[in-house]
Amino acid sequence: MKSNRSHSYLLPPTSSLNIKAALIVAIAAFLLLFNVWPMSYLIFRSFVGEGGFTLETFKRIYTYPLNWNALRNTLITAGLSMVFGVMIAFPLAWLVGRTDMYGRKFFRTLFVMTYMVPPYVGAMAWLRLLNPRVGTMNVFLAKLFGLSENPFNIYTLGGLIWVLTTFYYPYAFITISRAMEKMDPSLEEASKISGASPLRTVMTVTFPIMLPSIVAAGLLVFVSAASCYGIPSIIGAPGQIDTITTRIIDYVYVGSAEGLNDATALAVSLMIIGNLVLYVSTFICGSRQYVTVSGKSTRPNIVELGKWRVPVTILVTLFALVVVVIPFATVAMTSFTKNLGKPLSSTNFTTRYWNILLTRKGILDTAKNSLIAASAAATFGIIISCVMAWLLTRTKAKGRQIPDFLITLGSGTPSVVIALALIMTMSGRFGINIYNTLTIMIVAYMVKYLLMGMRTVVSAMSQIHPSLEEAALISGAEWQRGFWDVTLPLIAPSVVAGWFLIFMPSFYELTMSTLLYSTDTKTIGYELFTYQTYHSQQTASAIATGILIMVVAVNWLLNKLTKGEFSI
Amino acid sequence: MSSITLTNITKYYGDVQVIQTFSEVFSDKEFITLLGPSGCGKTTMLRMIAGFERPTTGEIKIDDKIVSGLDVFVPPNLRNIGMVFQSYAVWPHMNVFNNVAYPLKIQKVAKSEITTRVENILEAVHLSPYISRMPNELSGGQQQRVALARALVSNPRVLLLDEPLSNLDAKLRETMRYEIKDIQKKFGITVVYVTHDQTEAIEMSDRVIVFNRGIVQQVDTPLNIYSHPANEFVADFIGKVSFVHGRASDGYIALDDGQKISCNGRKTGDVIAAVRPESVTVF
Repeated sequence: MKSNRSHSYLLPPTSSLNIKAALIVAIAAFLLLFNVWPMSYLIFRSFVGEGGFTLETFKRIYTYPLNWNALRNTLITAGLSMVFGVMIAFPLAWLVGRTDMYGRKFFRTLFVMTYMVPPYVGAMAWLRLLNPRVGTMNVFLAKLFGLSENPFNIYTLGGLIWVLTTFYYPYAFITISRAMEKMDPSLEEASKISGASPLRTVMTVTFPIMLPSIVAAGLLVFVSAASCYGIPSIIGAPGQIDTITTRIIDYVYVGSAEGLNDATALAVSLMIIGNLVLYVSTFICGSRQYVTVSGKSTRPNIVELGKWRVPVTILVTLFALVVVVIPFATVAMTSFTKNLGKPLSSTNFTTRYWNILLTRKGILDTAKNSLIAASAAATFGIIISCVMAWLLTRTKAKGRQIPDFLITLGSGTPSVVIALALIMTMSGRFGINIYNTLTIMIVAYMVKYLLMGMRTVVSAMSQIHPSLEEAALISGAEWQRGFWDVTLPLIAPSVVAGWFLIFMPSFYELTMSTLLYSTDTKTIGYELFTYQTYHSQQTASAIATGILIMVVAVNWLLNKLTKGEFSI
Repeated sequence: MSSITLTNITKYYGDVQVIQTFSEVFSDKEFITLLGPSGCGKTTMLRMIAGFERPTTGEIKIDDKIVSGLDVFVPPNLRNIGMVFQSYAVWPHMNVFNNVAYPLKIQKVAKSEITTRVENILEAVHLSPYISRMPNELSGGQQQRVALARALVSNPRVLLLDEPLSNLDAKLRETMRYEIKDIQKKFGITVVYVTHDQTEAIEMSDRVIVFNRGIVQQVDTPLNIYSHPANEFVADFIGKVSFVHGRASDGYIALDDGQKISCNGRKTGDVIAAVRPESVTVF
């Protein structure tokens, strides 16, 4: 007797296959339309002229020494930031993760939080601190050591490297820390039991095992620094130091067809550098198999620093002061300073700029735009992330890696390239015109930041053993009910964390917004940048301080929500 | 009455056949053990009975109702089966009471009745004092009991256990064996038990099904499996054994080196004899 046909509706293999396929196609289509196709078109445009394939555009742009210099500057600054960034990040990650240094948890939070701060805030701070004539730190150091002139000049290649390093080393710090946490501590214990000293263990076991992660971390710093626009435009412009990103935006601002063409060729150069690095890094990380990622909750063994404990803590405290506390404090203080030529004092104090921030319609409108665009990007982004997490961790649907790959590709593409490609393809030439709308911003933010959300949700989902969901099924719950009762409560903190990880960088985004804004769709990042460069550093600093407060608040919230599992 | 009838079951993953054609009837209140090395297909078999996997061909009936067949598939949530997972699968965000009460809540049982039934079942698995604890405050053995209580609370027709003891220490494993057996008798429930541990299989089961590489090697009582293994694999997998090659003819086996061993098998010709250490007598 064949009874109960009505019960077979829940797991009908054919139709659920169609749902999965439809979801994969939908997500892939979104990325193909807004990422792959625009980028392909960008490449096509740069290589194809009136008479077919040509390198004419490349030849032309690189006949200008200005562009050559920009390329050279980009490679030098990104390269050195990478080297210095890793040189800072590895010892810091080790000290924070593996030793009994005082205040490890505090330092960890502090360094990781820098990651959430928009890099241009660093540029604003160091501009004030190391201005060759009146920089506060410059003056202080000159006085302290009795120098006849100020020791530093921020408007140099060195200054650019310094700011890039201090704002991108957290990328390396996070990557290396995570790998260190995952490393099986018994590998180090085996070295010690063989008679190696702690330092020798670090050099002969920890470092070599970590090497792939260190390389990956370095390359991440390189790509981020090379595609950064905020720092070189704030610091480089007065010193006439161009990078590829600033040149691209200059060309776009020229506005002519030729300008766009030249920008395209430069963007393709940047893309080639970026993708080459991305390729190398996946190649290296792909062969990372020998990093022993052991099961849950391995307690890393803690190295006792002994007599070095106090000196090392002091050193790290100094570093944190110089790299985090002083710059942020400078920005905050600038927002209260009446006359920038004099130090902040009770007579040189004003809340005028905070009043402007809280009342001026122009600023509030841009804040509203950013809030809407970032919330939309985060909400759509987190929905896609959840669907992807489900497809990747709970199904064997064919082709589920395709959207995964496309999302990774998008986040590896320099912001300026994404924005330029969207301008070229989405302004009506091919039937879609979303240029000058908030939609194009939302799309750009999603392409760039989707990966952050996806990674968070995927890692949460993969930590939930499928048997937890199966136990709900066998208890009589339909899968929707099981998802609601079991899966959702367990991943909820990560979903919230993922939402903020897309929201925050979208909210204060500068590079893409600079290219995509229109009079009605200016964003807070762009508004801040305009104030910083043209009108009033104090107003810009007030906006930046507002963003900093937001970052700290979000970080605190995430920490509370996830009981310390997620911050950033 | 809760029997399980499996008819011509096969399972393929893509082109790989993980279960070869298998038919068997598990009768009511029977304790059946699926035994075999890892990757032999025993867990797949169990998951097909639960409804987490669908057989490629064949039919599964629980009592007289087809739960899996050519054009019928009853999802796990409608099969009224209890299951204990290898990893326990105790929900970390619910306390003991809520974990155990969950199946009853799904069935919309009245609140007061839920309380009574949960309390009773926790009593049976010796967890009463822990009723409001969170899972992370429990030991492995206690989590195991929560999983067991949750599987039993709705009086299921069938209880499936997937290597439930493999994560416990040796001492606890022994105690739990008796408790599971006890509970089976008390509740009068059909049990399908998956393990790779021959001791568990022999001690607890009414019948044992030995699997290897997706093929059923033997289905029999523990005693028969031990004393009359169907083939070399079964003999080797269960108990201590040595193999000797020789020629059998009326009443003895002639070994290659000329020695003779007496035996009472019916076979003649080239044979492989399995010798259990306790059956060797030294004169």
